[in-house]
Amino acid sequence: MTSTRTFVALMVLAGIASLALFVLHLGLGTVWIPPDRVIEVLLDGLTESTDRTIIWDLRMPRAILGLLVGGMLGLSGALLQVVMRNRLAEPGLTGVSTGGILAAVLFLGGVWGLPQPGRLLPFVVLVGALAGGILVLLVSSKRGGIDPLRLILTAVIVNAILGSLTAIVMLRSNYALGNILSWLIGSLHGRVWDDVWLALPWAAVAIPAGLLAARAANVLQIDDESGRALGLPLQPARVALFGLAGVLAAGAVTVSGAIPFVGLMAPNAARAVAGADARRVLPLAAMIGCLLLLAADLVAQSFSIKPPIPSSAYRVGLPVGAVMAILGAPLLIFLIRRSTR
Amino acid sequence: MNDVEPIRLEQVSAGYGRRMVLEGLDLRLEQGTITAIVGPNGSGKSTVIRAMSRLLAARSGVVFLDGRDIRNFGSRDIARLVSVLPQSPSSPPGLTVRELVELGRFPHTGLFGRHGAEGKLAVESALTLTGLSGFAERPLDELSGGERQRAWIALALAQGASTLLLDEPTTFLDVRHQFEVLDLVASLCASGDMTVVLVLHDLLHAANYADRVVVVDSGRIVADGAPSAVLNVELMRTVFGVAAKIFTNPESGRMVCLPIGPDRS
Repeated sequence: MTSTRTFVALMVLAGIASLALFVLHLGLGTVWIPPDRVIEVLLDGLTESTDRTIIWDLRMPRAILGLLVGGMLGLSGALLQVVMRNRLAEPGLTGVSTGGILAAVLFLGGVWGLPQPGRLLPFVVLVGALAGGILVLLVSSKRGGIDPLRLILTAVIVNAILGSLTAIVMLRSNYALGNILSWLIGSLHGRVWDDVWLALPWAAVAIPAGLLAARAANVLQIDDESGRALGLPLQPARVALFGLAGVLAAGAVTVSGAIPFVGLMAPNAARAVAGADARRVLPLAAMIGCLLLLAADLVAQSFSIKPPIPSSAYRVGLPVGAVMAILGAPLLIFLIRRSTR
Repeated sequence: MNDVEPIRLEQVSAGYGRRMVLEGLDLRLEQGTITAIVGPNGSGKSTVIRAMSRLLAARSGVVFLDGRDIRNFGSRDIARLVSVLPQSPSSPPGLTVRELVELGRFPHTGLFGRHGAEGKLAVESALTLTGLSGFAERPLDELSGGERQRAWIALALAQGASTLLLDEPTTFLDVRHQFEVLDLVASLCASGDMTVVLVLHDLLHAANYADRVVVVDSGRIVADGAPSAVLNVELMRTVFGVAAKIFTNPESGRMVCLPIGPDRS
């Protein structure tokens, strides 16, 4: 079967590309470390050196998070597109991004009067994210079932409400606005090992589970009557897949904020090159997600801007979310034009 | 010799919301036969198929599958015994014939299982039986209506069930492809292992292919028997509201029911 061979080739290709970007990513920063030196340091874990400290302590967490977050968002989007029967579905529609951000804004804005956000922030975002996902699910379910169209409509509405609340809270307190903005746009700047440990458990559980859901996802892709005739309980399956997509997106939002587009682009790109079978679309979407996010973060890291604050001595890197939207959009438009008649 | 009864309905009533569609239906399928269910639009033909496969739970009465109450089966257990092809099935753009047919193995492998050798064999033989081996890697949306319908039948065959329920499998097909699909169904039944139920609109096809015709009107069975015994001028007038002529086809010896216009008597 050529299709299987194509798929394997695509996966290997995307894997190698991701690995190459990963090495480049570790080399990039204030001090440039050439790829061969990066590989040398990675393979020789014992010898102490400045490069080793830079790579392992400073840059590794961000690069790993690039991979994890990209993969989680890619897979989340692919699952949601199945559940919602819509190729425009993306992880943001689960309500977890807006939920997480609203929680972050409430927290950072001092509405709860906590003086030091500190390391508590990611947990607050996580709780808000999961609450947002559960809210969308509750509002859209009717007699225990979720209908794809009703789900997508209620998701848009709930998102609008949560987004408006965020705007209102932000207007009330311009305190820490910059910090909040980076959550809104999505960024991987300054991420440390603690952030990796925060995202890793979600990725470790939800990515394999999401990939294993491919068979059920395939049945959900055909019409409801045929799907039920094959013995799949549709409603529990939809709720489970939505839950997985939500958990994946929540894990990503917790460490990176709401990075747009990866979760929309990766599954559409996967479908454009590998067809409709979820057994291929799901892993490929995750892989392409890794690739895209690493690539976008490389670009984000390469360019920095000086904020228009007189006192600021630092230049800050571009947020990866913004890069993703700007660079990703043309690519996505190309893929969609190519794969549709 | 028919000691196994694939499906039996006993006083089955079923419906949607407050609207009852079937009322107290009794129907027993004979193994290895083709049964055609005919009747006017809205008479409940599709609902009979949905009740037989528990896609719609009976409101009262009992459906027996393999001699056992269908309520005691898991959904996947039912799918291993009964394949259903709905009226207008749909697949996502880009899905290939083989990928569609492989879905038929879902009731056997479940959520996380893999296709064993048996599954692969079932898929291959379903593709061969339906003449689709050459099309296996083609996306479904690039095929003709007849080929697409055969692909869906292949999915039902890959399921490995011995009872096949087809809801208007010939709708939207041109005459040649209608015959092609029905010939395929007839050839499946020829071995005597498969039991087939066809919901049909075309009485010509019903008379041609079915061993038995069940006429449903307003949720009740109004006639049941061999085509020659059931299809007559009187039935055409009372059930379908048309005047008809009945002939015998000199070639096949089968009867031909020719509607000639609305009943004006």
